[in-house]
Amino acid sequence: MKATTLRRIGARVATLLASLLIALTMAFALGRLSGDPTATILGPMALPEQREALRHQLGLDQPLLVQYFDYLKGVFTGDLGDSLQFYQSNTTMILDRLPFTLQLVAAGMSLAILIGIPLGVLAATREGTWWDRGASTLALLGQSVPVFWLGMMLVVLFAVKLGWLPAGQSGSLKHLILPAVTMALYPMAHIARLTRASMSDALREPFIDSARARGISTTRVVWRHGFKNAMMPILTIIVLQTGVLMSGAVAIEYVYSWPGLGQLALQSIQFRDFPLVQAIVVFAAVIFVLLNLVVDLLHSVVDPRVR
Amino acid sequence: MTELLTISGLSISARLADCDLRLLDDVDLAVRRGQIVGVVGESGSGKTTLARSVVGLLEKNVRVDGGSISLAGEQVVAPGVDLTAGVRGGQVGMVFQDASRSLNPLMKVRAHLAEVLHRHVPGIDKDEVRRRSVEVLEQMRITDTARVLDSYPHQLSGGLRQRVAIGLAVVTRPSLVIADECTTALDVTTQTKVVELFRTLVDELGIGLLFVTHDLMLASDLCDEIAVMSSGRVVEQGTALHVLESPEQDYTRRLLAAIPAWN
Repeated sequence: MKATTLRRIGARVATLLASLLIALTMAFALGRLSGDPTATILGPMALPEQREALRHQLGLDQPLLVQYFDYLKGVFTGDLGDSLQFYQSNTTMILDRLPFTLQLVAAGMSLAILIGIPLGVLAATREGTWWDRGASTLALLGQSVPVFWLGMMLVVLFAVKLGWLPAGQSGSLKHLILPAVTMALYPMAHIARLTRASMSDALREPFIDSARARGISTTRVVWRHGFKNAMMPILTIIVLQTGVLMSGAVAIEYVYSWPGLGQLALQSIQFRDFPLVQAIVVFAAVIFVLLNLVVDLLHSVVDPRVR
Repeated sequence: MTELLTISGLSISARLADCDLRLLDDVDLAVRRGQIVGVVGESGSGKTTLARSVVGLLEKNVRVDGGSISLAGEQVVAPGVDLTAGVRGGQVGMVFQDASRSLNPLMKVRAHLAEVLHRHVPGIDKDEVRRRSVEVLEQMRITDTARVLDSYPHQLSGGLRQRVAIGLAVVTRPSLVIADECTTALDVTTQTKVVELFRTLVDELGIGLLFVTHDLMLASDLCDEIAVMSSGRVVEQGTALHVLESPEQDYTRRLLAAIPAWN
């Protein structure tokens, strides 16, 4: 690797660490803004002394700045505090739920990519035809249908009426189908629209004509010359969408009682379990920062001009 | 000498929303082996349409109304006939205007050459690809072939890029090369070198060259024959000397008058 490349990556890492710090600070501040958790935990009948004791136990009687630095120290050593409702380490709970969410996101994203990219390429290579209009309508529809509604409709059709697939919970491949399809729809539509736009720009480039003039086959012109040049924005959106799904599949996990991070987040919010909420937000922020770094690295792998 | 490219009575029009637009009107043109024919005209005169029609790179709404294009006696284009896919890149090589945009930015020069060789030379092996890649770059008067082969287009100078683009057009040993405004994006010194290169290539390889340009002086320097185009017609045709010295058409005279004088 060249020195300029290293310097560029170094600068990116520095920016990402700065944005991570801002995200961590905001997560901390939001946790403190949501009121005194001791009231929720101990109930309305608790004595002031009991609440004071709990505040001391949770470290809430410390000055804010001390709490903040304790929290940062915890984050960087992998200790995200303990949950107020489950009496467990937040880190352990997040790591327990993570495989379920990863499984769902991997299935949903693969589906979205496998359908979205060919759909977008089809539309771009047949611009202005009925293929194009059909694909674009499908993509628009996919982006406008609310996931919770789609999820419930799929359950009604495939689980209740036809009885082909289970309505919820996890376990087998059959359990994965409905939530994965539901999850795939929005990113599929997004990927298809972006692929179409990016591809139709790429196919207008002069190097496409010159490749055709050299007698290169249409398939090769479309994929090797067109798609490879159209790929960067598509890759970016795939990686960032993965981040969104990993931390935000709340509605889907709720509809299908899928035991992933989204459910955990919902439970923590309902209980005002602020250490857990904060831990999940921190986790999501770290995921986003890492994925952004992945996008950057991918960019320099794909395009020699930014190396 | 044998006729390599014969265009006779070629008429081409574009279908627009409300009318048909004539792009080429009854164009006759011939290129022989070892000959450079210049097509000169201002923007919109139809010279690029003419060049692209030979390799079948016309827009979807453009169709051939009449006439034909033949290569070495075989008809490739006529109304309802388009056999250009069979000659593209093999028998006919094409060089485009701006090499910074006509080369794929994500592919090394080596990959460009390998791709076109694999496509047109059946059963070619790795060593032969390497040998012919180096050979063609040397023909392009490129000295540091190893570096150029391992470069991406953006790592090369404009002149070098255009040489690579020309090399890509001739590496399959075509009999006809079409150059569409391929010196326009270059500075004058580089332009001169590219023009000299074309001259030697035509003499060495015995190819025919159809050289499309808006630059009448450049064409008269390089070409054996010149066709002057205006509004889709060839308005004047003859040897470079003849067109320059005793233009018969008012249009050519005006083109000549538009060239700034030094004194």
